[in-house]
Amino acid sequence: MAKKTKSGSGAGAHAEGVDLIEVKRLLAFMQENGLEEFEYERSGVHIRLKKASTVHAAPPVAAVPPVAAPAVAAPAHAPAAAPARDPAQPASPAADVHMIKSPIVGTYYSAPSPEAEPFVTVGTRVESGQVLCIIEAMKLMNEIESDVAGEVVQILVENGHPVEYGEPLFGIRTQGKK
Amino acid sequence: MFKKILIANRGEIALRILSACKELGVRTVAVYSEADRHALHVRFADEAVCIGPPRSADSYLNIPHVISAAEITDVDAIHPGYGFLSENANFAEVCEASHITFIGPSPDVIRMMGEKDRARAEMAAAGLPVIPGSAGVVPDEEAAKEVAAEVGLPLMIKAAEGGGGRGMRVVRTKKELIPAFQTARSEAEQAFGSSNVYMEKLIEHPRHIEFQVLGDRHGNVIHLGERECTLQRRHQKVLEESPSTVLDAATRERVGKQVIDALRKVGYSSAGTVEFLRDVTGELYFIEMNARIQVEHPVTEMVTQVDLVKSQIRLAAGEHLDDVVGPFQFHGHAIECRINAEDPETFRPSPGHITAFRVPGGPGVRVDTAAYSDAVIPPYYDSLVAKLVTYGRDRAEAIVRMEGALDGFVVEGIKTTIPLHKRILAEPDFEAGKFDTHFLDRLTGIAGK
Repeated sequence: MAKKTKSGSGAGAHAEGVDLIEVKRLLAFMQENGLEEFEYERSGVHIRLKKASTVHAAPPVAAVPPVAAPAVAAPAHAPAAAPARDPAQPASPAADVHMIKSPIVGTYYSAPSPEAEPFVTVGTRVESGQVLCIIEAMKLMNEIESDVAGEVVQILVENGHPVEYGEPLFGIRTQGKK
Repeated sequence: MFKKILIANRGEIALRILSACKELGVRTVAVYSEADRHALHVRFADEAVCIGPPRSADSYLNIPHVISAAEITDVDAIHPGYGFLSENANFAEVCEASHITFIGPSPDVIRMMGEKDRARAEMAAAGLPVIPGSAGVVPDEEAAKEVAAEVGLPLMIKAAEGGGGRGMRVVRTKKELIPAFQTARSEAEQAFGSSNVYMEKLIEHPRHIEFQVLGDRHGNVIHLGERECTLQRRHQKVLEESPSTVLDAATRERVGKQVIDALRKVGYSSAGTVEFLRDVTGELYFIEMNARIQVEHPVTEMVTQVDLVKSQIRLAAGEHLDDVVGPFQFHGHAIECRINAEDPETFRPSPGHITAFRVPGGPGVRVDTAAYSDAVIPPYYDSLVAKLVTYGRDRAEAIVRMEGALDGFVVEGIKTTIPLHKRILAEPDFEAGKFDTHFLDRLTGIAGK
């Protein structure tokens, strides 16, 4: 019975009737010869291997260039170069992690005031509507609320750092329906 | 000079401003909507901030987001480009309140020029000729007769609160006046809820002539000649050139002087364009002023060798006009074709994925564009893909260069108006410089106005 198998480069595939060692040899063969795709059929087994492409024709996405940290209370004077992030892909979330993204442009603060405790930390359980942080824009403090209930599993920004529209702030693991 | 400038715009003008900033050693911040993530202005700026979802109202027109972006990147000035917030007096005021220099005229002047009848009244008071007409709403038939006697025929009756051709009547003979007045008023009442109408002289076969000006923040103003922008389709400019084929040196000098005097009086600074309609007798009438840099500014740059955008930035930084511009001369002739992402016959917008893109070059050919091979023209903004500008020692050379350049401009994957421009250039009347504002509508088969 012909069985097709697909494999990313280097990733092991598991399928009935296919000798994995042979597949690995084929992958090595592809690598050595710079092949993107390889297909063959033998003894009723049909194998097609295709490399996961990492490059496509579109021009490289502009990594978000370093944004100088504003002169807030922050003692660090060297402009904190925000790590060049690929704006098209936030840190890949697990399937049930809901991302909270910034709805405005401004400066992110994790606590209501410099001396106070942060609104949330990793592990905090939050309700829908609960305030997660403040984003200051044009001298106004905007409270950013969670739109789901769950557990904070990721905090992706640092206190006092600038954020842009759509920037991922928090990952909240929801437990089923709200 | 500023250390860092935020460009509150997108597309080709954002790139234009970016290059001016680079030449001046100024760092740049681009702002972009989610639809413009892969745009060139984002890629080429020193820093970039995403300011909203695709819709302009939520991003490029979103004042709080733009100002916020300016604050977190700590810029000292904002260049608004054209369109978007460039003539928004509130935005200019918010910039000032945030201690950010707005690269443009003062908020008061922007406001004045934005209210069209106020601009007309102020410019008339400052000595510019305006279209003769009623000094406001014409209240009754008696007043209508008086205005007609003063203004002469033919004239237009227009709804004060509306547009789009409704509540409008052309009057060519005395007999037509009162019936036209009455029907215009009832139509206006029906369409706009107000029967208020005003009257003005009808300019037949008008040509659109505009003067480019620059002013510093010390009260000095100069003009850099005129552009002819008569070729319009549905009031959108399609092709512009400088100098105009119908403006003689004496008129240029006279009107130029009137423009400078009027703008000095109102304290105009930065770049701007004063627009006139020219009637068949050669009279120029002020219609409005655009208090910003214009799309077709390259045409003036080509014939004067003055960098208008760099000048704007330097003037906003407080430099004197003499130092920024100095003596210059007019040389040769320049033409600009606006190449839009539209079907060249139906003019239906054609956004989408560009699969091939090759711009022409060579002597006297300039292309201002933010498009590139594999780019996606989004559907959310204007349809301008590129500005193709040619320069020649005379108009004939500029035309023949434009013909060659259009032939060498390859855009695939979307439709463009390149074929339309080829048609325009092939028209004998265009070559002869004989056209009015109805020329293009006639060429493209649009009935009436």
